[in-house]
Amino acid sequence: MTASFSTIVSEFFFGSISTIISVLKVLIPLMIIIEILQVYNVMQKLSKKLASITKLLGMSPPAILPLLVAIVMGVTYGAGTLMEMNKVNPIPKKDYVLIAVFFFICHGIIETSAIWAAAGANLIIISVGRLVYAFIVTMIVGRLPIFYNHKSFKDLND
Amino acid sequence: MSLLANTIKDGFIKALKTTATLMKVVLPVYAIVVLLKYSPVMPLLEQLFQSSMGIYNLPGEAVVPLIAGVFTDEYGTIAATRQFDFDSLQITTIAMICLVFHSIPVEYALSRKIGLPAGKLVLYRLIMAIIIGLITAWIGGLFL
Repeated sequence: MTASFSTIVSEFFFGSISTIISVLKVLIPLMIIIEILQVYNVMQKLSKKLASITKLLGMSPPAILPLLVAIVMGVTYGAGTLMEMNKVNPIPKKDYVLIAVFFFICHGIIETSAIWAAAGANLIIISVGRLVYAFIVTMIVGRLPIFYNHKSFKDLND
Repeated sequence: MSLLANTIKDGFIKALKTTATLMKVVLPVYAIVVLLKYSPVMPLLEQLFQSSMGIYNLPGEAVVPLIAGVFTDEYGTIAATRQFDFDSLQITTIAMICLVFHSIPVEYALSRKIGLPAGKLVLYRLIMAIIIGLITAWIGGLFL
């Protein structure tokens, strides 16, 4: 050990508290915003306007809603929306996987960007950069031949 | 109570609940990283990862927040990041890598639950994280 016990304890104590406080300052307003988005069905309204984007990504139009929810609000909300949609009107397997391909790169963009910006990262790069990256990757993946030959997607092409 | 007021209240309660989960992650990660930082293992880790982290223009110690992120979540990564002196581009690079490849155990379980090929997705995220890290480290500086 290169530091005394008291240094370690005080660093742990003050460091962890200040980390939690700095995250909280961002988190409380964000959670309120996310709640408002959900209650006022903002994502449903937005998804109608953005439905044409799905063509670019190689998905069918209904896929935009779970995708948008996952990107903006977070992966748990997105997964919840997917499960609910599957109960009523299942979306094609190809869309399902492409949504995952997109949102595993870029999810919870409001929350994560704000928290990381507070931690000292560049806000534009981690929000817009990640969005653009996920978009390009999904466009490429959706056009890979593997997607048209894979057995689980056969039913789509018949 | 009006709908808006109720919504704000619900959001606030959710934030407090998240804080509870947050503390379960941040406190242990912080404790482990503080101990690790002052232990003799740290110089070894730094040396071991100096060359691989060097590809990302990161010092060897950057491996600590990245590993913390894989097993916990982005809060764990932030807790670990704050204990070292990284500049803005380095923090951005760490953020980009960990935001693509984080909470692997939790999100593996989640993707299995909603019926996705979970194992393949983990591999996919790892590859995408490596690529985005390189892109950020190489051209991120243009935007800072």
